[in-house]
Amino acid sequence: MKCSKAHKLISPYIDSELPESEMNALEGHIKDCFKCRKELEEGRELQNLLSMADIHKAPYGFNTRVMANLSPEKADKSSRFAVLAGLAEATAVIMVIAFGILSGSLVIKGAQPDRATDVIASLSLDVFDSAPPGSLGGVYLAMTEVRNEK
Amino acid sequence: MGDNPQDVSILDRFKNGEKAAFEELVLKYQNRIYNLCRHMLGNAHEAEDAAQDTFIKAYQNLNNFRPEASFYTWLYRIAVNTCLDYKKKPFWESLFAKSEGGPSVYEPASDWPSPETLYQSKQIGLAVHNSIRKLPPRLRTAIILNEIEGLSYAEIADILEISIGTVKSRISRAKEELKKLLKEFMEQR
Repeated sequence: MKCSKAHKLISPYIDSELPESEMNALEGHIKDCFKCRKELEEGRELQNLLSMADIHKAPYGFNTRVMANLSPEKADKSSRFAVLAGLAEATAVIMVIAFGILSGSLVIKGAQPDRATDVIASLSLDVFDSAPPGSLGGVYLAMTEVRNEK
Repeated sequence: MGDNPQDVSILDRFKNGEKAAFEELVLKYQNRIYNLCRHMLGNAHEAEDAAQDTFIKAYQNLNNFRPEASFYTWLYRIAVNTCLDYKKKPFWESLFAKSEGGPSVYEPASDWPSPETLYQSKQIGLAVHNSIRKLPPRLRTAIILNEIEGLSYAEIADILEISIGTVKSRISRAKEELKKLLKEFMEQR
């Protein structure tokens, strides 16, 4: 037996899927071929690793949920509802994102001052202080007081 | 596994109008089908949905089931196709898929191993799971049915409706890929 033929037989040999004649022929070849013997060992090692894969049990109440959903109409409705619900969710998310982008752009645009004076005004903290006598506000207040006195 | 007289008896009762007999089939196969879906899809929530869909489809089509075929092979075929369809779901459905609540829980054997052994086994189990998930769907399906579900090449051929030669070839290719992906763990042992 050639190594190329042995290579094809090693996997089904490990899985006990070879007919007896091929099994005997492969075993004869492996005795004399170090390379194929090593490949067989690796295959068995892999099988050991794969046997350590987690075994998952159905969650608690699985059968009850299946039986509750067995009516054909309900199953049909639920699958249609799932598609519609998914579409509705997708639309809602897209709308929220679009609204966010739109409102964000409006806020940025609104925050941008048109003139240099607006920049100064927007940076001023005068609104929190009483108008000092030499300021524009102070002059305005003095003028209104004079007018009121008249 | 083989043709099961118990399944035949339950199916006869179902066809004679005893719809509740179906629950016996659910209870009998739920762990195998869920485990298959879990390894095929990776995600616990999707796996439960796919496993539920499998049983619902089986229930709805049970009257079309040919008695000369074996029930579990037919059920596995529905499960495999359901899982493959789940992978083709539109992108927006994955946006709303619930996230996994952490890695899967390892269930140790009754004789408790040491924490180191337990940790190592858990690591290997996760590495195997992740490596299988990286395989192309055809190879993944074949290796899960063979190595995880313990089905013979003939049973896999029946489930996937392909020749035994093709099963043999897919399993060999899957193993070659897994050897590369699990090289680190193979060298450790």
